[in-house]
Amino acid sequence: MLREKIEKFLLDVQKPARYIGGESGSIIKDKKDVSVSFAFCFPDTYDIGMSHLGMKILYSLINSREEYSCERVFAPGIDFEEIMRREDIPLYSLETITPVKDFDFIGFTMQYELSYTNVLNMLELAGIPVMASNRDDRLFNIVCAGGPCVCNPEPLADFFDLFILGEGEEVNLELMDLYKQMKEQGASKSEFLLEASKIKGIYVPSLYDVTYNEDGTVKAVTAQENVPAVVKKRIIDDFDNVFYPDNFVVPFTDIVHNRVSVEVLRGCIRGCRFCQAGFIYRPFREKSAKNVCEQARTLCENTGYEELSLASLSTSDHSEIAEIVGGLIPYTEKEHVNLSLPSLRVDNFSKELMDEIKKVRKSGLTFAPEAGTQRLRDVINKNVTEEELMRTCRTAFEGGYAGVKLYFMMGLPTETDEDIKGMAELAQRVIDLYYSLPTRPKGRGVQVSISTATFVPKPFTPFEFEPQATREEIMHKQQLLIDSITSKKIRASWHDPSTSILEAVLARGDRRLGQVIYKAWKNGSKFDSWGEHFNFEYWDKAFSDCGLNMEFYASRKREYDEVMPWDHLDYYISKEFLIRENKKAHNAETTPHCRQNCAACGVTKETGRACF
Amino acid sequence: MIKIRAVYEKRGRAKYISHLDLNRCMQRTFKRSGIPVWYTEGFNPHIYINFALPLSLGYESRCEIMDFNITEGVPFKELIESLNKAMPEGIFISKIYNPTTKHTAIKYADFKITFSGDVAESFNNFMSRDQINTIKKTKKGEKEIDLKPDINVISLEETDGKTILVLRLPAGTEKNLNPSLVTDLFVPEFGNTEILSVERVAILDDKQKEFV
Repeated sequence: MLREKIEKFLLDVQKPARYIGGESGSIIKDKKDVSVSFAFCFPDTYDIGMSHLGMKILYSLINSREEYSCERVFAPGIDFEEIMRREDIPLYSLETITPVKDFDFIGFTMQYELSYTNVLNMLELAGIPVMASNRDDRLFNIVCAGGPCVCNPEPLADFFDLFILGEGEEVNLELMDLYKQMKEQGASKSEFLLEASKIKGIYVPSLYDVTYNEDGTVKAVTAQENVPAVVKKRIIDDFDNVFYPDNFVVPFTDIVHNRVSVEVLRGCIRGCRFCQAGFIYRPFREKSAKNVCEQARTLCENTGYEELSLASLSTSDHSEIAEIVGGLIPYTEKEHVNLSLPSLRVDNFSKELMDEIKKVRKSGLTFAPEAGTQRLRDVINKNVTEEELMRTCRTAFEGGYAGVKLYFMMGLPTETDEDIKGMAELAQRVIDLYYSLPTRPKGRGVQVSISTATFVPKPFTPFEFEPQATREEIMHKQQLLIDSITSKKIRASWHDPSTSILEAVLARGDRRLGQVIYKAWKNGSKFDSWGEHFNFEYWDKAFSDCGLNMEFYASRKREYDEVMPWDHLDYYISKEFLIRENKKAHNAETTPHCRQNCAACGVTKETGRACF
Repeated sequence: MIKIRAVYEKRGRAKYISHLDLNRCMQRTFKRSGIPVWYTEGFNPHIYINFALPLSLGYESRCEIMDFNITEGVPFKELIESLNKAMPEGIFISKIYNPTTKHTAIKYADFKITFSGDVAESFNNFMSRDQINTIKKTKKGEKEIDLKPDINVISLEETDGKTILVLRLPAGTEKNLNPSLVTDLFVPEFGNTEILSVERVAILDDKQKEFV
């Protein structure tokens, strides 16, 4: 029925294959064999959501349980949404074309702050009350979320029944088991939520009360009776043997990351002070070379993909990276599979590794020095020296590359004009290096691209206390960078700071922002991460209507003793460590990476053993 | 290297796979199937697949044709089984053989168009005109053409409140007419109908015999 209705309009929308499912690798179960169903919702379009590795893992995991089913749901594009609203087509899942409101769990993955309004939009399209408090108490339609953004889920608290903190491979199934059991017992939703709050990793925001100080900062977050005062995130203890899919859904249309990815490690040893992922995914754990190679091969065989990527925060930090690459190359060459290794670090990018990559296909090289001067790189603990960068560029140029992309952040703590000029100077020295090499690729000009992003202070990082640079400051820095570039061989690109400001507001926001998000969405905000759809005015108006201001959240310096909105959530990164690191940052002192020396971030207290 | 021609159906959800995406989809299907398929030998090796005719997005077909090569002999039955196991929902190989003709021998294609309601009489009236003129967009620009000499009505009948029309139209590299050129004129004019489905049911050579 629903499918016929949808098919009537599919040829009127762009890339209809995104809206009908049926891809190779999709898992379709008979509803009568399913006791608990999970709609895995990605709050963005198919093209982006289908690139997300976490969804592939949890999709396969839930479906690996015979009586549980997981189906995929994405935000429709603007053209299809218009038709859905006009024709009364509810948001539906791709596998069995079932309305989202027929699912037991409606789970969103929160990967970036600028997708928040899409959640509200999708709930409305599904016909589910947007505010959790407006939903009835039947044990059904549990609206939940996980992913990195839920390390501070407070701005989203009004819309969700519960949040899943940390890694989902175990806790998702525990939650579904509890649901099944309580459903059989005829429990209500509130009874279920109370029980769920006792599972490690489950945060039920309605069971916590927030009070505020007169200056608007949080006074306290208090757990109600029989509810844990602090919610701890979940970690997979045996990462090497944790569930990993043996098949992916292979889309028909081209998507952002259209390939096999094998997660080779989780966590990061580096401790770059701006990087939230580097802290919230701790501890560092590796998958053995044997398992990586096996999983890669199985996935390539089952999906038929022609590209394989090794995914992690820093793939070259794997202690067996040479074994992994060496083990994969004979297979990938024979089977015409292109091996790509994203996230390589400048300091350990060897010629051998590059030769291996180049054997298959020559793709572009991207480095992220993040800051223009050594002083600022020390502040952010990006332990990369210019010498290392130059050495790597040299290897690359001698190996036939003639283009390098350099990533920087703008508006970092303690940043001065010298640091901005430093970006242009560094790019210039890369160009000078190129022309100094007799072995450079003949007959080709060098091209260095500088790409800058506005720094966003994030929770659970040593910079969570830091004010974000204001719009005026960023505009000044961007102009300064343009003026500092004197060569036509350097190209600079940057983003409008508006989205970064909003990101900073939402990342460190409190529960009062729920009303702002709601109003911004009502004003028309959706797809905020898409430049063509983002409208700062929707948000500006929402803030003033709620009597709140963005500067309070984004560009205010926070004291070490301020209660952060997320302080009742434990990601095992201790406040003492964050303060210690923040102080070191202001003294431009670096912290060695975890393999060299344990920095006592706090995670070993939870795991009960040293990481190395 | 052995030349292979496969005849396959494209139905259901698979009808939304565009021609561009179909090539990628087949590349991966061949890889999944594990058959000893032949790769091109250029700088960027890929599986060689040659589709006889593109099929418009949203159309079903019972007779799509693609050619590829295998590097060693495999029984056809085995090839069909391996490939069909790896195919996405809606695509199904019905026949495999060694081709003796080239795709350029294709001259016509038959399309089964299902309309809602009884439109048989109106369609006959539509066809009884002296000329059926429309604007065809080509790479060089737009030009007005008369479709009538090229439209061959094979059958037209009304059943169960639906009208099923089978049209034979020129197809192939020399001259190609999409049935939408006809229906885009007819449907708005008649008004009270919509197209429920379009299916390619036959591919023919210059003698109007089935192309093999």
